Amino acid sequence: MRAYSEALSVIKKSDLFELMSRFLESREVIAPIPGHGGEVIFYPIESIEDVAWDWEYVNTVLPPKRFFLPQTEELFHYKNRKNGYEIEPTYNDDVRMIFGIRPCDVNALLFLDRFFGGGPIGRPAPVPRDDELRDNYYAIRRANTFIIAFGCHQPGEDCFCICCDSGPFLEEGYDLQLTQLGDEEYIVEVGSARGLKIIFGHEDLFRTADHTEEKKLAEIVSTATQRFGNTKAYLSKAIQNITYDQVPGELWEEMGNRCQDCGGCSYVCPTCCCYNVVDVPVSDTEGYRVRTWDSCAFAGFTKMAGGDNPRSDKKERLKRRFFHKLSYQYILRNGRHGCVGCGRCINTCFANISMPDIAEKIRRGTAR
Amino acid sequence: MKDLYLPEIAVIHDKIPETGDVSTFFVRFKESGRHDAFDYRPGQFLEVSVFNVGEIPISITSTPTRKDYIELSIKNVGLVSGAIHKLDKGSEIGLRGPFGNGFPYERAYGKNLLFVAGGIGLAPLRSLINFALDNHDRYENVTILYGSRTPSDLVFQRELDEWKTREDLKFLVTVDREDETWQGHVGVVTTLLPRADVTAENTIAFVCGPPVMIPFVIKDLSNLGFSDEAIISTLERHMKCGVGKCGHCCVGDKYMCQDGPVFSFKEMKALAEEA
Repeated sequence: MRAYSEALSVIKKSDLFELMSRFLESREVIAPIPGHGGEVIFYPIESIEDVAWDWEYVNTVLPPKRFFLPQTEELFHYKNRKNGYEIEPTYNDDVRMIFGIRPCDVNALLFLDRFFGGGPIGRPAPVPRDDELRDNYYAIRRANTFIIAFGCHQPGEDCFCICCDSGPFLEEGYDLQLTQLGDEEYIVEVGSARGLKIIFGHEDLFRTADHTEEKKLAEIVSTATQRFGNTKAYLSKAIQNITYDQVPGELWEEMGNRCQDCGGCSYVCPTCCCYNVVDVPVSDTEGYRVRTWDSCAFAGFTKMAGGDNPRSDKKERLKRRFFHKLSYQYILRNGRHGCVGCGRCINTCFANISMPDIAEKIRRGTAR
Repeated sequence: MKDLYLPEIAVIHDKIPETGDVSTFFVRFKESGRHDAFDYRPGQFLEVSVFNVGEIPISITSTPTRKDYIELSIKNVGLVSGAIHKLDKGSEIGLRGPFGNGFPYERAYGKNLLFVAGGIGLAPLRSLINFALDNHDRYENVTILYGSRTPSDLVFQRELDEWKTREDLKFLVTVDREDETWQGHVGVVTTLLPRADVTAENTIAFVCGPPVMIPFVIKDLSNLGFSDEAIISTLERHMKCGVGKCGHCCVGDKYMCQDGPVFSFKEMKALAEEA
């Protein structure tokens, strides 16, 4: 494990509640809370009572990407005044803390960091391809959000992070990483300078881990890794086949027939980040430009003003989606493939078109 | 802090109708210092905002060698292009850019230039044509072949008349369907190739036009001996952000707004998705 500080700390569950309460006094805290349908969702909390304390959740229905790339986000405000139009960007620089984010979702943030050109936390920023193309809106939200991650000692039913090098524990991308040590304590790894500051600033809540506890962490990691069941995605051969266009057309035909065009796969995917841009008028002379989540699954995604639509066919859109996620061309562009193995698409798709399933079909070169 | 998405304000100084649904807008950045500093390559485009309506990519049809105005020839086909057409002189719009790779004009230094344009496809090529005419010492012969559906669909009429009379270039024009006013050639644009005595030797061809036209032109140029590298064209896709983030304009692994929209035929064939 690479870590900012070699020293491990331990925090009691009750002291973790206390730490969150202290954060809540001065900044927004986002944590997993129980949703109305029994699911667990990430949401800004008002008190620590809100939190889904049993921690039995593995993955939330939606990834926390909306705190970095909101489903609808204002980019700027425009107003036609006496001397013409004035434009004011609407940056959000609130300092926030996200608790309980899982390693797959943190790896998705590292992916988005490279794509939007903002640096990750605690480690040197990967050099963006072109500094000029930094997306300030994403980068500002990202830089102002503390990441308190939870390692996964028990993978969920649909999890396959282990096939995607993105879990069940983090090697980078966190300020603090907590791993459950027995019922009442967490072992704490520090991944950044500001993570270390949290520990120094709340010394009364942490104690240094002893040698047995350090050994215990290594055991937990190793046991968790062995707990992954049958949900696997053998991506490397799939990557090869899609890169060299060795996938039979019938596969996309079949998937196209099944796809319902709902875009759910993109919305629940922690690395999907395509967006549409629209103006929202406030009056004849004033309004906001906003961006909203979009999906390459939608029929109108590539439709041009004149009516031409290069991907009017669903099979073309499906092929596009998996080419973007898996091809070597995009691995080169984005620094890794576009799947972190969170398993959300498995649960969401009506048509059972999920990454492990399609990767398997691409790998075997078959439609069935 | 530089921001990818904030437009700069520009003013429409003039608006000239070209055809029934195409007008050319002469715009300047409101801040004159910014206008003077603004530079671009022929073949690049701007994201043009009509506030409260939206933003669309429009290729720059003027040449960077003539800086008084940025000229944008816009066809009235959609929501935003329709809204631009309703704007009068003095109206403010937003501009972002320039974006895109532009034409590889350095590669054509010392060579003959062949331009093949169809309809509004002349707009992006016109930037490079006038750029080449203003730098004629760097290029050999310039030939322009232009076709449109009907005589009333011909854009840049005043400039076409000037090109006809210029001695430093060869200009041929055709229409698919004539009307009673038309004295010239009738037929698709490829029928001009034999009439212009085009040779592939030491020549680079730049082709822009409706998607239906491009494959026919490329086929005829290939038959004339043009290599895939010597045929340059542009691809069209729905675009939103212009900076390779929104995801709409990808073809294979290329973002048309950043890696394109200009490609040689060789590059187009190598794209990982059918263009």
